[in-house]
Amino acid sequence: MSPGAIELVLFAFVLLTALATAAFRDVLAAIIVFAAYSLGMAIYYAVLLAPDVAMTEAAIGAGVTTLLLLLTIAKTVRPGRDEIFESIHWSGLLVVGAFTTVILVTVTSFPEIGASDAPIVSNPEVSQYYIEEAYHDTGVENAVTAVLAGYRGFDTFGEAVVVFAAGVATMVVLHTEVFTRD
Amino acid sequence: MTPLVDVLTSRYAYVLFALLLGIGLYMIVSSQNLVKKVIGLNLFQTALFLFFIASAYLAGGQAPIVHHGGKEATYVSPLPQVIVLTAIVVGIAVTAVALALLVRIYAEYGTLEEDVLREVRSDD
Repeated sequence: MSPGAIELVLFAFVLLTALATAAFRDVLAAIIVFAAYSLGMAIYYAVLLAPDVAMTEAAIGAGVTTLLLLLTIAKTVRPGRDEIFESIHWSGLLVVGAFTTVILVTVTSFPEIGASDAPIVSNPEVSQYYIEEAYHDTGVENAVTAVLAGYRGFDTFGEAVVVFAAGVATMVVLHTEVFTRD
Repeated sequence: MTPLVDVLTSRYAYVLFALLLGIGLYMIVSSQNLVKKVIGLNLFQTALFLFFIASAYLAGGQAPIVHHGGKEATYVSPLPQVIVLTAIVVGIAVTAVALALLVRIYAEYGTLEEDVLREVRSDD
């Protein structure tokens, strides 16, 4: 499938905001452009028929991540106000260019976007089971929610443990003494 | 259109994925500022999410809201979307811990620039 107008606009928007994030020397400018990038990415996920992922990306990527980054520079420094753009790091660019070229070469052997011979569509046994049986098994109309909270509920519990561990680690690192007596 | 351009436009989301991976990796490798390295890590991560979502996409399909059993229409696969949802939440946890470490590094050394930090550390 060749891209339509919405896809082309989003492609350009996401690519430009990503380049601007890398190029701006002022960290505050980079954070703001990165929030715009996350929003563009969320719209892209919605266009690719992933509404749950789009909402999560808009809330967490554009919202919480931006907030955490802003809090960090508020508590530390906001460097790079002297020059607008970063200077180019040539050896880094060379290595990353080689890496990107290798990935781009593999892209030509991927199936087309949305093609019906893509492996996930031509081998539908697993996906099709969840789509057909999710409502009968769990009573939830959204198959993504059914898998996340129903079939793979223990994995989601593990994910909650990861978030809890991250919260504990953050408090330990920042010496937040909420549990100690003085 | 030449065959190569044709091949790449029909796989446009994967091309974007490759370019964003490159930009994210460049930020991680080349940025002197540690906050920008963390932003690069997040950018790299969203590029991978795009790869998963694009691989689940089916032209003419519907979002996986199946109502009462999914026999009346074709839907995109819900499974890559579930793994991406999990990865987004784990990603924000990683970002939070990384930024907390940066706040401590700044409190200890008074800088977030990699080259300055290296000098200060070698003086210790």
